[in-house]
Amino acid sequence: MSTALVRTSPDAGLARPARAARLRGLGAQALTGLALAGFLLLAGVLAPLLAPHDPLGQSAQSLTGPSADHLLGTDEFGRDLFSRVLYGLRQDAVVALLAVPVGAVVGTLLGLLGGVNRWADAIMQRTFDVLLAFTALIMGVTVASIMGPGLPAVVLTVALVNIPIFGRIARNAVLGQRNRDYVVAARVLGVSPTRVTFRHILPNVLDGLIVQVALSLSMAVFIEGAMSFAGIGITPPEPSLGSLLRTSIAFLDQNPAYAVGPMVVVTLLVVSFQLVAEGLTKKLLRR
Amino acid sequence: MTMTPSLSAEPTVAEPVDESMPLLEVTSLRTHFQTPRGTLRAVDGVSFDLLPGETLGIVGESGSGKSVTAMSLLRMVRRPGKVVGGEVRFRGQDLLGMDEDQLRTVRGSGMSMVFQDPMSSLDPIMRIKDQLVEAMLSHGKFSGAQAQARALDLLQQVGIPDPQARLDDYPHTYSGGMRQRVMIAMALANDPDIIIADEPTTALDVTIQAQILDLLAELNRDLGTGIILITHNLGVVVRVCSKVAVMYAGRVVESGPTEEIFAAPRHPYTQALLAATPRLEADRDAPLLPIPGRPPGLVEPIAGCAFASRCAHADQRCHDEAPPVSAADGRAWSCWRSAETGVLAPQPRPAEADESTAVDAEPAAAQDSSSSDAKALLSVTDVSKEFASRGRGLLRRERHVVNAVEGVTIDIAPGETVGVVGESGCGKSTLGKLIMGIHDVTRGRIEFDGRDLTHASRSDRDWFRRNVQLVFQDPMSSLNPRMTIGDAIREPLEIHGIATGAAARTRVAELLELVGLDPAVAPRLPHEFSGGQRQRVVIARALAVEPRLLVCDEAVAALDVSLQAQIVGLLQRLQRELGLAYLFISHDLATVRHLSHRIAVMYLGRVVELGPAADVVANPLHPYTAALLSAVPEPDPVVERSRSRILLQGDVPSPLNPPAGCRFHTRCPIGPMVNAERTICATQQPELAPGVHHAACHFSGELRAAGLEDPR
Repeated sequence: MSTALVRTSPDAGLARPARAARLRGLGAQALTGLALAGFLLLAGVLAPLLAPHDPLGQSAQSLTGPSADHLLGTDEFGRDLFSRVLYGLRQDAVVALLAVPVGAVVGTLLGLLGGVNRWADAIMQRTFDVLLAFTALIMGVTVASIMGPGLPAVVLTVALVNIPIFGRIARNAVLGQRNRDYVVAARVLGVSPTRVTFRHILPNVLDGLIVQVALSLSMAVFIEGAMSFAGIGITPPEPSLGSLLRTSIAFLDQNPAYAVGPMVVVTLLVVSFQLVAEGLTKKLLRR
Repeated sequence: MTMTPSLSAEPTVAEPVDESMPLLEVTSLRTHFQTPRGTLRAVDGVSFDLLPGETLGIVGESGSGKSVTAMSLLRMVRRPGKVVGGEVRFRGQDLLGMDEDQLRTVRGSGMSMVFQDPMSSLDPIMRIKDQLVEAMLSHGKFSGAQAQARALDLLQQVGIPDPQARLDDYPHTYSGGMRQRVMIAMALANDPDIIIADEPTTALDVTIQAQILDLLAELNRDLGTGIILITHNLGVVVRVCSKVAVMYAGRVVESGPTEEIFAAPRHPYTQALLAATPRLEADRDAPLLPIPGRPPGLVEPIAGCAFASRCAHADQRCHDEAPPVSAADGRAWSCWRSAETGVLAPQPRPAEADESTAVDAEPAAAQDSSSSDAKALLSVTDVSKEFASRGRGLLRRERHVVNAVEGVTIDIAPGETVGVVGESGCGKSTLGKLIMGIHDVTRGRIEFDGRDLTHASRSDRDWFRRNVQLVFQDPMSSLNPRMTIGDAIREPLEIHGIATGAAARTRVAELLELVGLDPAVAPRLPHEFSGGQRQRVVIARALAVEPRLLVCDEAVAALDVSLQAQIVGLLQRLQRELGLAYLFISHDLATVRHLSHRIAVMYLGRVVELGPAADVVANPLHPYTAALLSAVPEPDPVVERSRSRILLQGDVPSPLNPPAGCRFHTRCPIGPMVNAERTICATQQPELAPGVHHAACHFSGELRAAGLEDPR
């Protein structure tokens, strides 16, 4: 009742923080993650410019070790592994940046709907239960067996895995906010339920969702890797981080550097997204 | 700006053991918090002492440092807070210099604490007995067998009914008031010399508060335990404490015997606090005087007197130079204006009385309160609300029905304020929600301006939304934290098509001005405002649709006294200017009395008494009203010590299973529990008799003794 610290300062006259200040507000951890992830994804997007060789171009020099020309050596068909890793990164960028937003938006919308309408909620909850019952890889097998392996199957799998996750978070957040006074106040003022949901509730539940986006991005990399590793993801000769890892196993004794490239990149990518997620959690959710 | 009052024991207190030697001496105590904005001086030079068996009240508003002071005494301040200076001597030993082991022997057995929230202060998975025994064994004063026996004695001492059986129960089976008794029993367990109670009754209902305060006073009288009571409620201090220290901005600004300080304060803050506090016995015409401005931030160093910027007496010297500590006849104070004479001029009345809480003439319609329904703005007729709660178990077959509101009939005339009072669970908030249409009524009719709302069409509901608005208890949670206040006020304007674009912006500015805020603050977010300012924003938003009735649900309960008076003043000014009607729901009888033309008293879902405010307070007809009134502590020692008291036994029964007949008969001081032949109370539901001032009681008007304005 009378702790001096409870009183919030009035910061009178301060304008809204500028974008730079808000970025700094994310904290060192999240910023480090963001920088690392940005660097890796950019490298993937710019692969055609950065790659020293054609990722599909075969040559006679197979399974050489690292050299000045081939930074990571070559694979069993004499293709430059460094270039293949860059192009593989590109595939992962596509998966992560396409599938995660789709899953996040669809899942959030369904979750919000469920939080507002009781019937929609019942249906949604059971659907989410079913989706959650599949582990990512089983879901991948199912999707790939229906539409055939390849990039689209990976994207769809990642999106499907994310829908119930975001749905549940959004729904719980809505339930938590729904009886807050400001929501009641809006209803009493005659604000329509849809407007209440999007104008009042959504901005207040966004923090949790943003953190989940960062987590889901790392999961997307992981799922792509797992699916391609299992042979139901991105199909050869297209390179991907997962498929590179898979083939590298057979040649570990001839070119140990074969596995190093994709392994390091996958690890860095996952770690960077995790850093972002963890940093955001500290900043956004523990206020 | 420290003070060392030479405080003498009061005659009302138990015989001091050793008058020459204070139990507790606090000298220039300073506790600071390191925050990102700088050093926050939460406690900045507090001095007082406590003789054996004395009762000291520390009062102040939130942020005054009273709780931090209490925590500092036992060195329980958590990081980033730290006691940085001063001295705390308990029986001559320096507490601040002790190591943790030595300190532990003082905690509990020398000084013990009772906290505000009894719900979270007990371990939910431990039996009450085990918790009491554990507290005793940890100090080695008692053997296991002794502790077992003492646990029973303690429960008995703090007034737990059937203590033998209750010993083996878990905390969740105890009510809030009973848990606070257990907390006091635990504080007593090791026979301490001092109990520090930090807002011990703030979370409790007023009749339960009266029980706990009586218990504390009794322990002081019978056991000679010294008590330090920390509270924001001036009435609570009067009821228990013989001595009082008033805190402001981390310092004690005035201390001395309670009677004298309340009769003639020597610090302007004490004076202002008293003038801002609503009283039951005060004339309705006597306005509450809000304290302008807000407390200082405690991070910036203050050159002069911390209160100068809000003080009605301040001159240039007060702003420039810290006032000296004066001490005379057992009192101490620090104010330039009364430093030499010890007399403070009466508080000047504000020249422009528009935000003071003077009350205009009764509204026309309230004069004949039996006004026909045609004139009523809102009429609630025989309304009931049942909540069904499902039973446990797989099939959830059992159904319990809670009658949150039953057979309530009230009407409100245009421009009238009807206050609804009652303890928690009496259904007053549910009634408000029914009127707002947040809940649907189970039975009965609610009409606004002649239109039936219980079966309203969509367009009727829209129309209704523009006519009836709601003000909440917590101004922070009733504003969207992500929306600027300008947007928040503009939203209803646009939704109802009242104004758009530039017109809406102009209207937002007008509304902010109307509630006393600078229109330039529109682009700010709610967290940038103080509690009182936020409540003004909430009121501005409600007024955007130009309603004719505002339902205020505990609208000032979350605010400090000085801010409370500001908001009460604002509500009254708006009523004068706009002709608004209010349904003012509150647990605080004094505020309701101050603001309302008529008062409805609710108990367990029913209105038990309804009548003109002054009449209900002066001549309560229902025994519950009388008991409720007598439970409210008045911030006036003269009134408080001369009036008769009715102490209700026990707790409010569960609304799941309300008593048959009159719902109050199980606790009634004139009912069948006292007069065995009055069986009618237990069998027949009394109806609210028609009339201007009426009560639902078979023996209405019998218990008048507690009336405050009755000749005593």
